[in-house]
Amino acid sequence: MAHTTEPTPVVRALYHDDDVLISAVKEIRAAGYKISEVYTPFPVHGLDKAMGLKETRIAMAAFMYGLLGLTVAVTLTWYMMISDWPQNIGGKPNINWGMNMPAFVPILFELTVFFAAHLMVWTYLVINGLYPGADAQNPDPRTTDDYFMVELPAADGLVDVLKKSGAVEIAEA
Amino acid sequence: MASNKVYWKSFDQLANTEVSQRLAENEFAQDIPADVFLADERSLEAQTSRRDFLKFLGFSTAAATLAACEQPIIESVPYVVQPDSLTPGVPSFYATAYTDGQDYASVLVKTREGRPIKVEPGDAGRFNRGTNARAQASVLSLYDSARLRGPILNGKDSDWASVEASLKKAADAALAQGSQFVLVTSSVFSPSLQAAIERLRQGYANFQHVEFDAVSQSNTLDVWEALTGVRALPSIDLNTAQLVVSFGSDFLSGSTAQQLSSDYAARRKPGTGMLRHVELESNLSLTGSNADKRVKIKPSEVSGALAFLVNELGGSAAKIALRDDLTKALKSVAGELKSANGKAVVLVGGDDTNVSKLAAALNALVGAFGTTLRADKPVYLRRGSEARVANLIADLNAKRVGALVVAGTNPVYFRPDFEKAIKSAKFSLSVTDRMDETAVLCSAAAPLPHYLEAWADFRPVAGEYTVAQPTIKNLFNSKSLLEVLGGLSGDPRSAKDQVAAVAGSLGLNWNQTVHDGGAAVTSGSAAGAPAGAAAALAASAKVSKPVNGMELALYENAVGAGYQANNPWLHELPDPVTRLTWDNYLTIAAADALAMGFENETNSDGSLDGSYATLKVGKRVLENVPVFIQPGQTAGTVGLAYGYGRTSAGKVADELGVNAYALGAATGYATVEISKAEGTHEFATVQLGHTMMGRRIVNEVSLADFIADPKGTNWNEKPTFHTIDGHKTSEEANLWANHDHETMHMWNMSIDLNSCTGCGACVVACHIENNVPVVGKQEIRNLRDMHWLRIDRYYSSDMSKERAEEERIGGIEMYAKMEEPSESPSVVFQPVMCQHCNHAPCETVCPVGATVHSREGLNHMAYNRCIGTRYCANNCPYKVRRFNWFNYMANEQFADVNPSQDDYGRMVLNPDVTVRSRGVMEKCTMCIQRVQYAKLEAKKAGQPLADGGFTVACAEACDTGAITFGDVNNAKSAVRAAKADARAYHLLEEVGTQPSVFYLTKVRNA
Amino acid sequence: MHYESPVRQPLILGDKSYNQITEDVVRPIENAAPRSWWMVFSIALVMFLWGVGCLAYTVGTGIGVWGLNKTVGWAWDITNFVWWVGIGHAGTLISAVLLLFRQRWRMAINRSAEAMTIFSVIQAGLFPVFHMGRVWMAYWVLPIPNQFGSLWVNFNSPLLWDVFAISTYLSVSVVFWYVGLIPDFAMVRDRAVNPVQKHIYKVLSFGWGGKAKAWQRFEEVSLVLAGLATPLVLSVHTIVSMDFATSVIPGWHTTIFPPYFVAGAIFSGFAMVQTLLLIVRKVFKMEDYITVQHIEMMNIIIMVTGSIVGVAYITELFIAWYSGVEYEQYAFLNRATGPYWWAYWSMMTCNVFSPQFMWFKKLRTNLVFTFVISIVVNIGMWFERFVIIVTSLHRDYLPSSWSMFSPSFVDVGIFVGTIGFFFVLFLLYARTFPVIAQAELKTILKTSGEAQKKHHSDHGAHH
Repeated sequence: MAHTTEPTPVVRALYHDDDVLISAVKEIRAAGYKISEVYTPFPVHGLDKAMGLKETRIAMAAFMYGLLGLTVAVTLTWYMMISDWPQNIGGKPNINWGMNMPAFVPILFELTVFFAAHLMVWTYLVINGLYPGADAQNPDPRTTDDYFMVELPAADGLVDVLKKSGAVEIAEA
Repeated sequence: MASNKVYWKSFDQLANTEVSQRLAENEFAQDIPADVFLADERSLEAQTSRRDFLKFLGFSTAAATLAACEQPIIESVPYVVQPDSLTPGVPSFYATAYTDGQDYASVLVKTREGRPIKVEPGDAGRFNRGTNARAQASVLSLYDSARLRGPILNGKDSDWASVEASLKKAADAALAQGSQFVLVTSSVFSPSLQAAIERLRQGYANFQHVEFDAVSQSNTLDVWEALTGVRALPSIDLNTAQLVVSFGSDFLSGSTAQQLSSDYAARRKPGTGMLRHVELESNLSLTGSNADKRVKIKPSEVSGALAFLVNELGGSAAKIALRDDLTKALKSVAGELKSANGKAVVLVGGDDTNVSKLAAALNALVGAFGTTLRADKPVYLRRGSEARVANLIADLNAKRVGALVVAGTNPVYFRPDFEKAIKSAKFSLSVTDRMDETAVLCSAAAPLPHYLEAWADFRPVAGEYTVAQPTIKNLFNSKSLLEVLGGLSGDPRSAKDQVAAVAGSLGLNWNQTVHDGGAAVTSGSAAGAPAGAAAALAASAKVSKPVNGMELALYENAVGAGYQANNPWLHELPDPVTRLTWDNYLTIAAADALAMGFENETNSDGSLDGSYATLKVGKRVLENVPVFIQPGQTAGTVGLAYGYGRTSAGKVADELGVNAYALGAATGYATVEISKAEGTHEFATVQLGHTMMGRRIVNEVSLADFIADPKGTNWNEKPTFHTIDGHKTSEEANLWANHDHETMHMWNMSIDLNSCTGCGACVVACHIENNVPVVGKQEIRNLRDMHWLRIDRYYSSDMSKERAEEERIGGIEMYAKMEEPSESPSVVFQPVMCQHCNHAPCETVCPVGATVHSREGLNHMAYNRCIGTRYCANNCPYKVRRFNWFNYMANEQFADVNPSQDDYGRMVLNPDVTVRSRGVMEKCTMCIQRVQYAKLEAKKAGQPLADGGFTVACAEACDTGAITFGDVNNAKSAVRAAKADARAYHLLEEVGTQPSVFYLTKVRNA
Repeated sequence: MHYESPVRQPLILGDKSYNQITEDVVRPIENAAPRSWWMVFSIALVMFLWGVGCLAYTVGTGIGVWGLNKTVGWAWDITNFVWWVGIGHAGTLISAVLLLFRQRWRMAINRSAEAMTIFSVIQAGLFPVFHMGRVWMAYWVLPIPNQFGSLWVNFNSPLLWDVFAISTYLSVSVVFWYVGLIPDFAMVRDRAVNPVQKHIYKVLSFGWGGKAKAWQRFEEVSLVLAGLATPLVLSVHTIVSMDFATSVIPGWHTTIFPPYFVAGAIFSGFAMVQTLLLIVRKVFKMEDYITVQHIEMMNIIIMVTGSIVGVAYITELFIAWYSGVEYEQYAFLNRATGPYWWAYWSMMTCNVFSPQFMWFKKLRTNLVFTFVISIVVNIGMWFERFVIIVTSLHRDYLPSSWSMFSPSFVDVGIFVGTIGFFFVLFLLYARTFPVIAQAELKTILKTSGEAQKKHHSDHGAHH
């Protein structure tokens, strides 16, 4: 990561407009330099493509979590109402889960959503390394306001490319 | 008494002998050997190491924690010698006779661990066997903490010896000075007591015995005494009757109501020859509500009406003009009397000499004598004489009474003239159960045992002798009247010996008689009455003209004459007709109320308010009488109940209602001046909707239609549902595969609306059996009564769907009109408890499964699982679930009314039933404790559970057998037969709840 | 990058830059609270404390201190519950459904709308808990083994469905809300000068750095959450409506309830959003972001949902008559003409008639009028629930059990208390949270900013 104490020097270029940023990223990559990270104050549409980032698979994860929730709900209702202690409640048939199922639909739905939503967000926080009290990931506070930062390993000729791409500020670290 | 309660653990302690005191002091006495410990030097110098310290710390912490979660210690005293006749947890039953100065009934008393906890009907065949509301509730009067604990002399606590000594002194002094020695009692029909009184008469030439009944029958008795030579009323035998014509006689809640109700119900089984009942009355009484035909009449019109009938039936009585509509009604009554000759009986209410004479004459003319009216089988329950009361008052005022003993009655309350008079007695002793209005004015008072504490015997009716045995040792330092009088006449025998002697003299086997609670004996002096003489009375009877002014007709509700006025169960029981609780009030017709500016108003929270009236009868004035507008009340008449307005009865009764006796209407009737008074009265009613709103709730059919269509195809059709494959009943149109209800018991209950008179004995019985809390006036006013079983009362309305159809009346107006009861409504009663639905709406909605269905078709309620969402109650179509809004056992708001908050009252609680905590739902369990007990007994006996071997509390208390409980899976069970009856239907069957309770259609003989 | 046609009105007024958006959003957080805020806050606090007192009294003495009776077992408690849940619908609906439909105008309001959702669902949650006779046993509604052995909950019970629906809805809404908050907290953190404040926002922002990949996931997560929250939002009030729809009480036993309740919920929810935003934009000077157009949009929704509710009311009446069921017919006749006619007709006036004014552009763009209507609608929706619950219960099958209801001071006190609690939370939120999703808003500045649109249309520039 950028702010760790690794000796590998990096160059940080600040841009002041998202459109400029997009074109810059394209130019830099065209020039054959590898962009290690980009920090933006808001989601810049098309940036991930420009950077060549892979599609995220978090939606698929959410679907799996949903299925898990559904399974839990089925097991819960079956075990409590049919298996462990079947009771005659208002004459509703509870010979097997299927006959009693219509009464469980709300539970099945709610637990599905519950699991999908919460586990997905947990995953999201973990893979992004987000947790309460974590140190700020962005090296320059302005990047949460109105500046856009491209971070990439130092290389010769890079600075000129950056200047040309419209960087308003370039720093080496 | 609230502050220093004494829990006596032995009778010695109660008597507080010196020995017991010393024993108490020395019990468990043990000195802590601190000095021994301190004496030991080493223990003081010992070093406490860190580890020790931690041990101590740990231990003390643990100890403190344990102590903190320890249960409160409930003291209980084990048997020193276990009585072999008694098994803890198993009830024992004792046959005895219930009397409270007003009522008599042959009963069985259920005791648990030596405590009487329930009164049940006595053995079949006994006279007036059965329990009305008062008999049921009487067990709580035993544990009334307002009872007198010990003798009192000149306002100071004393003992029996000195009280009896001073009585003897006073009596002897009176004898010496030639002044009177008077004993005042209610009617005495106890042979042994009569004997004791006779002995006293021998000893004292100046002795007088004055009997009087709170609600007097004196004049009627005089009439019958003249006829038969016996001071008693003839018994009424409905078993052969075809027609009862009653003039304001509330015989279904009178002194022999149990007897009459069961005969009445038995004779009113639907079918040809069903007993017909015509009631002519001014108040809408319980009896009138059950009548097939009810005619409004003013009390002053009764003598004229009777005279009219006498003349119609060939007798001769003075003729006077009557209202045309009344004459018309009477003509048809006369017709019916003629056609039912020999099988009719005419009953009259009140205590008017002329009315009694005319009634006797009329009965003679219809041939009732010897058949339906048994002068040869007199009832001895009423013997009082108002003449003698008047003389006594005169003698007292004239200071001619040296010694006065008032025993088991309360003249100052019942006959206000006593208040001044009694002070003029040189010495007065009240042998009483509490410091009542009379006792507080007497120079001495001594406690009388409750009927469950004493030996006694009775001769309620010619041909029957009953023995009452004690079921518990005297709670207080009380003494049977037999022994008190015996002491005076130098008879040392105990009450038991005196009773035993009488029984012996009748040639009865003592043990058998005690066990059976009585025996049949050859009726002495049962001379019948000459019908001719009776018929002749008509001529001598003075027939009075109807008065124009307002007339007052006094009546008795559940509280009765007022002997048990301090019994909260009787106040909590709603009046069957008005559905009001905790009150007496002036019932008035709507028209009169409007004319006089009286109003009843329902507030936004459903509570009912009413105006106040001031009553004036002659010179006597009664103020702040609440006014209640009563449908069916005869215009120009008002009603008022006895038994209220107590001032010295106890925390429950005092300041509750007004004292009707204060009006001095000796015959029960009087012309009254009514004027509106300031202020609004707060009523406590349990029912706001008074009509069925055109819904099929109580199914009713006329006898003619019933006979014409015995299958009930036209008058009892099942509601059906349109489905793809045709019409289906709620049983057939079933979404689900039903649970199995065939293999095990299937408890069902049948309620015969034709037999139910609405008396309310079952409601009280249920209250007692199931420890239902008493919540008092304010909470009932808030519509939060806790009754598990209620008796809904519906009036007919003048508006009906059909009429709306004809007269083109729109829905809005129709329903508005439907809410108003008719001016002369026909009345129906419907007991409603949990219907134990097999598709119970309440069960489905409980989030925690606190209420579920049993395999035996019962709807269970697990109190300790309930979290109190009240969803079940909301979703109950019958609204039978009751919520514990407060902690009725501890909340001080209920300290005065709820027995379970009283140290003595608590003893009446049924140990087999949980007392529910705050915040949980409760409801009828079908007396699950009884069901389980019976099942266990059957199991122990290794036999199948026999039908009728046991029943639930409400069914047991019902004199008319309206309620049948049993197992419908038992092919021979009565309830199964009832279910097959053409009259059977489920309440709200169309909702599809499939209840386990079903009703039998009411059949009116009209 | 796509550009919006000049025909569309700008969503952000004035000549804003990214930085100005930041400045505008953090202003309330960084500046001291105005006196007006303190006044409103202290009033709300007092109301809240009064409510706490009434609750304590109830728990200490018993439900008997309320106005309920043997026939009317629910009244203000569940009325308030449904009312608050209803209000709690707009937030998630705005952010979820409008996100799915790519409604950009939502961005200015969704943050506050979601806050309102969460705070009102918290209020709603209080009632089912405290209406229990034995609230200390409330945890028994959870499917956990307990001291009575394996005694389980009853999954047939609509009330238990509620437990699951409400808790799922609340927790998912919180998560949804917080995911969106993280980048904005990061922005506040990076500007903060006061170390304490900086630390707090550091903790809250989870160390967010706005990396490209993170943003990519952020958008995906938001989209999926929206996809989940949409059916969830509809399910919650559907299930709440089943408390009544699955019962046997005439007036409750009504299959139309689910859609009818959902429409009503959106209706009242948007009304409450209006009420709050009209205050927020004034107090925090956010007229440039919460524009008249926003207000108008929401007024249109209010008008539509209000009319749907109206149709539902009429359908109920029709079906009651058409069913031919004695009890149904009387139940609805009694609603309109019985002892509680006034409640019924206040409901009708507030919910069905008043929103019809919104047909007129002049009125629906008039802020004062909008504010009044938004209040009226919320009153009307409270009455709707009161009518459904009390007038159905007080006269059901057996006339012998018919009764009346009027609230005790405790009933009222608890309701007032929840209103106080709600505003306490909302006011605290307004001072400490970015009340506008600035990160999202920045993404539409170029397309929907007034100046920018002008610029584009002038040059007719289209790449």
